[in-house]
Amino acid sequence: MKLRNLRGLLLPLLLIGAWELASRQDAAGAYAFVPLATIGDALVELLGNGELLVNLLASLARTSAGLALGIVGGVALGALMALSPLANRLVAPLFHALRQVPMLGWIPLIALWLGNGEASKLLIVSLAALYPMVLNTFEGLRQVDVRHREVGQVLALGRWQQLRLVLLPAALPSIATGVLQALAFAWVTAVGSELFLASGAGLGNLMMNAEAGARMEIIVICVLCIGLCGYLMTWLSTLLARRLLRWRPTR
Amino acid sequence: MNAIAPSFPAHVQTGALSIRNLSKTYPLKGRPVPVLQGIDLDIRPGEFVSILGASGCGKSTLLRLIVGLDPDYQGQILLDGQPLNGPGLERGIVFQDHRLFPWMTLQQNIALALKNHDLGTAQKQRLVDEHIALVGLRGYEQAYPHQLSGGMAQRGAIARALVNKPKVLLLDEPFGALDALTRVRLQQELQRIWVQERCTVIMVTHDIEEALYLGDRVIVMEANPGRIGEQVQLELAHPRQRDTALLFQHKQRLLAQLVGH
Ligand SMILES: Nc1ncnc2c1ncn2[C@@H]1O[C@H](COP(=O)(O)OP(=O)(O)O)[C@@H](O)[C@H]1O
Ligand SMILES: [Mg+2]
Repeated sequence: MKLRNLRGLLLPLLLIGAWELASRQDAAGAYAFVPLATIGDALVELLGNGELLVNLLASLARTSAGLALGIVGGVALGALMALSPLANRLVAPLFHALRQVPMLGWIPLIALWLGNGEASKLLIVSLAALYPMVLNTFEGLRQVDVRHREVGQVLALGRWQQLRLVLLPAALPSIATGVLQALAFAWVTAVGSELFLASGAGLGNLMMNAEAGARMEIIVICVLCIGLCGYLMTWLSTLLARRLLRWRPTR
Repeated sequence: MNAIAPSFPAHVQTGALSIRNLSKTYPLKGRPVPVLQGIDLDIRPGEFVSILGASGCGKSTLLRLIVGLDPDYQGQILLDGQPLNGPGLERGIVFQDHRLFPWMTLQQNIALALKNHDLGTAQKQRLVDEHIALVGLRGYEQAYPHQLSGGMAQRGAIARALVNKPKVLLLDEPFGALDALTRVRLQQELQRIWVQERCTVIMVTHDIEEALYLGDRVIVMEANPGRIGEQVQLELAHPRQRDTALLFQHKQRLLAQLVGH
C-alpha cells in the first residue's frame, strides 16, 4: 500500500496519542479519558462474551429494516409527489412541516403510541430514512431532461414504461444521493432511539447500561464502533452506487 | 404491424404524408405568435424531402408536429390518408443531439424502440443486431453513449429510429453538430441506408449541399411566419455523386436566393 493511502489514519492516530497522554495526567484525567489499556481489556471482554456482537447486530438489523422501509416508501412518495401535481399539493405542506421536527423529538409521542419496543424504533428509523429519500426522488424526477422524456413519447412508451425505463433511471443519481443520506440518518437514529427506548438489544442499550454501571471504557468502545460501522456502510454504499451508475461519464 | 422484409422503390405503397393548411402559434408574453402558417405539403411514399431554411423559421416545430410531440396546431396531418393522433411507431425521428439514454447500452437503447412490438425476443434481438450492423456500429453493442464519439452516437440514434421500420423517418439537422468529415461520411451512409430501406424521409437541414445531395426534392422554408417557399425537384438517381454539375447549379442558385438580395 502506498504511503498516501495512509494519510487518513494520521489524525486518528494523533488523537489516540493525545487521549492516552491526557489519561496519564492525574486521577481526574484517568476518569474522563479512560486509559487505552482499560479500553483494550473491555474490548476483549465484550468480544469474548459476545455482548458487542449481539448488540451491534441488533442495531445493524434495525438500521437495515428501517432503511429498506424508508427507501421503498420514500421513492414511492417522492415519485407520487413529482408525477402528480394534485398529490404534491395535498402532501407537500404536511410533509415539509413534519420534516422540520428533529427525529428524536418524535420519540416521546411515538413511545406513547407504540410503546418502547421494536415497533417504535423501526418507525423512527424508517421516518429518518424516508425524508431524504422523498426529497431526492422528487428532485431527481423533476429534473429529468425533457429531451429524454420526448424520446419516451416518440417510442410510444406507456406511462408505466416511461416511469420504469426513463424517469426512474434518469433520477437514479439523485436517488443514490438520497440513499447515502438516508443511510447516515438511519444509523444515527437507530442508535439514538436505543438510547431513549431502553428495551431490547442495540449499541445504544449497551451504552446506557454501561453508563449505569459507570463503565466509561464500554461507552468509548461503543462510540468507536458506531463511527467505524457508519464509515464502512457509507463506503460500501458508495461503491454500490458507483457500480449502479457506471453509465455516467467519469469526470 | 410494420413490414420486416426489405422494401424497394417500386413496392413502396405506404408512407404518404399530406399536410393540409397547417398553422401553429406559440404564446409569447401572452400573445400568440405565428410560427408556421398555411403549410401545404404532399410527400410521396418513399420520397426523400430536404427542408432548408434559416435558423428559427420553424423547421423543428414542423417535425415535432408530424412526429406527434405537440398536439396543439391547426390544420391536418395525414399519414396514408389517416389523421395522426399522437406519436406512433410508424414514425421515427432523429434529433440534432443523439438523445440516446445514458443509462442504457447502445444495444438496450435500440432495443427500447421495439419495446411495444409483439415480436419474439429472438426476433427483436435479430432486428437490433441487424440495425447496429446497418449503421456500422458492430462491436459497440455494450458501449454506453458516453463511450461513443458524436458521430457514432448519431449513428446509434439513426439505428434506433429505423429499427421499427417506420414508414416516415424525420431527421432534424441530424449531422448539424458533427465535424465536417464525419458529416460527409454520415451523409453518404444515410444515402446507402435509405436506398436500402426506402422509407419516406423528411430531413431538416441548413446545409444546402446536404439538402441537394440527399433530397429527391428540396423545399425552402421561409421565416416569420414559417411557410413553404421555393421547391426544387431533383431528377437524379440515388446513390449520387456529390460533384454533379446539376447539383452544383442548384447550389449556386439556392445560395444566391438564401443569402443574396
Ligand atoms: N416551446 C416554444 N415556446 C415558444 N416559442 C418557441 C418554442 N419552440 C420554438 N419556439 C419559437 O418558434 C420559432 C421556430 O422554432 P424552431 O422550430 O425550433 O426553428 P428551427 O428549427 O427552424 O430553427 C422560433 O422563433 C422559436 O423561438
Ligand atoms: Mg431546429
